Amino acid sequence: MHNDHATTPSPTLFVDSKPELLTLGLRGILDLRTTPGIMESLAHLPKPLPGLIHADLSGITRMDDCGALVILQLRRMAEKHGSTLEMLGTPGHVQELLDFLRLDDPPRSGGSKRTRPGIMTRFGIKTIEVTSQAMTHVSFVGEVTVTLLSLLRHPGRLRLGDVVLYMQRVGVDALPIVGLISFLLGLIMAFMSAVQLQQFGANIYVASLVALAMVRELGPIMTAILVAGRSGSAFAAEIGTMKVSEEVDALITMGFKPAMFLVAPKIIASLLVVPLLAMYSNLFAIAGGLLIGVTTLDLTVNAYMAQTMNTLTIFDINWGLFKSAIFAVLIATVGCFKGYQVRGGAASVGQATTSAVVTGIFLVILVDSVLAVILRYWRP
Amino acid sequence: MTPKPVISVRGLTMGFGELVIMRDLDFDIEAGEIFVILGGSGCGKSTLLKHLVGLYKPMSGAITIAGLSLDPDNEDSFKKILARIGVMYQGGALFSSMTLGENVALPITEYSDLKESAVEELVRLKLRQVGLEGFEHHLPEELSGGMKKRAAIARALALNPEILFLDEPSAGLDPISSAELDMLILRLNRTLGTTFVVVTHELSSIFTIAKRIVMLDKESKSIIADGNPHELKEASEHPFVRQFFNRQPEMEK
Repeated sequence: MHNDHATTPSPTLFVDSKPELLTLGLRGILDLRTTPGIMESLAHLPKPLPGLIHADLSGITRMDDCGALVILQLRRMAEKHGSTLEMLGTPGHVQELLDFLRLDDPPRSGGSKRTRPGIMTRFGIKTIEVTSQAMTHVSFVGEVTVTLLSLLRHPGRLRLGDVVLYMQRVGVDALPIVGLISFLLGLIMAFMSAVQLQQFGANIYVASLVALAMVRELGPIMTAILVAGRSGSAFAAEIGTMKVSEEVDALITMGFKPAMFLVAPKIIASLLVVPLLAMYSNLFAIAGGLLIGVTTLDLTVNAYMAQTMNTLTIFDINWGLFKSAIFAVLIATVGCFKGYQVRGGAASVGQATTSAVVTGIFLVILVDSVLAVILRYWRP
Repeated sequence: MTPKPVISVRGLTMGFGELVIMRDLDFDIEAGEIFVILGGSGCGKSTLLKHLVGLYKPMSGAITIAGLSLDPDNEDSFKKILARIGVMYQGGALFSSMTLGENVALPITEYSDLKESAVEELVRLKLRQVGLEGFEHHLPEELSGGMKKRAAIARALALNPEILFLDEPSAGLDPISSAELDMLILRLNRTLGTTFVVVTHELSSIFTIAKRIVMLDKESKSIIADGNPHELKEASEHPFVRQFFNRQPEMEK
């Protein structure tokens, strides 16, 4: 796709082959457009080559570093077949280019090529990576804990403006999507269970099912998954990009602790708003269930709401809030941690973001399961 | 033979939203010229460069490159223009997921019919020109700032474009590499007739390479000097221009 010089003749390679002498004439322009063809024809010259090769370069009007590849190829061919290569009529500009490119210098070794290591090597690398990551993980969690505890004694160190900003980003900005998804979730749950419960005339228990399932389990979990996708990823990307552009280094040398400056506001903001989001999600899910109850199950609004109130205990609500708070801390911490681990450039930021979401959701589900077991055996 | 302009700018007004940065710029860049854009920090040099390569849209005015009107919305003509230009960005803009060799090879493999071994050879020659031979298999993150800059130049050179735009090529380079870069620019200009449009602050580099400069002024939002740097240094009627070339601080009042 190089420049089109309409006035210049197309370059050509003239070959005059005699038993003892091969004469090659190069004419015109030797650049990225013409070189591939010339190299192709040179590679297909009849073998073996005679003992003497004359390369006539006098016809070259313009040559760039790509054209120099032709000279390199000629030299290599001559060497391989034990022929002598003589270059004739080299124009000044060609000689200048060849001198500049130092074609005679042997190629400096480019270090080892990046090849995929063998399976054992990869296994080893991964193992070392995981163990060393565990160490950094522990020290990160420790640092964050110390920072948060120090806030209890010196609450003034917290950047309150940032906390409010992140409360808006994590909480307020998520309201539409959390509301919509929860409403649809409640609607679907009621719709699907209605088909089964109707067979037993147990229509009213749709209200119980939706309320209990949402408040105890699905509300906190759905909210946590949405927050991990929206905000956990954003934390990782933000801190990761700051790391790439040396902003984190700048914070450190200015005497700020990144854990205090970057991490604490995000964790505290999440801790404050995610339980509220989960409550809000419950509300919308119950509204979704109510819609189905009233429209397809012949329940009155009053009856549906009364059944919902009867089913839920204050413990259920507290338990849901408590779980949400734990999820919030997990997601925010993982997001920040993954951001911290970014090294290099754009690709690494992408990996960190993905990893923040996947790890965040995994931990949320894991902790939720553990809490369910604990609740089963220790509930008063 | 009258030199014909390869880039011509007519009535270019650039800015963002309500803010006008430069008003009614008119200038021509001739084929084979080394054209340097100067100005104090923040006066819009890089913005002008981004307008010239079609990344930003002018508020008004027109830019013509090699006879084609620069219009990023017209895919056909824009593609033809892009085939003729190479751009080196201030921060290097190397792809961090690729090695240096892959960065330089990317446009070559995409736009030429060279065989893989030939591409490798060519990449080696490109990197040799900027003094980075032997770093083919390094990732950009493993390089120093100056090396990244040189690698970015090698990538901009990949297709030997007719017009090369360089945004602060020698900032952050040591004096030796910077001088070598000047030599590289002069040689490409002489042997291949490449036109250069360079944004730079390095005075020594300006005096070595520039055949013509324009100086942008923040206050008047226009060009306050246009011509040969050696002549402007002595004879410009603008005190700011003389100050700039003689490296004098702002006068105390």
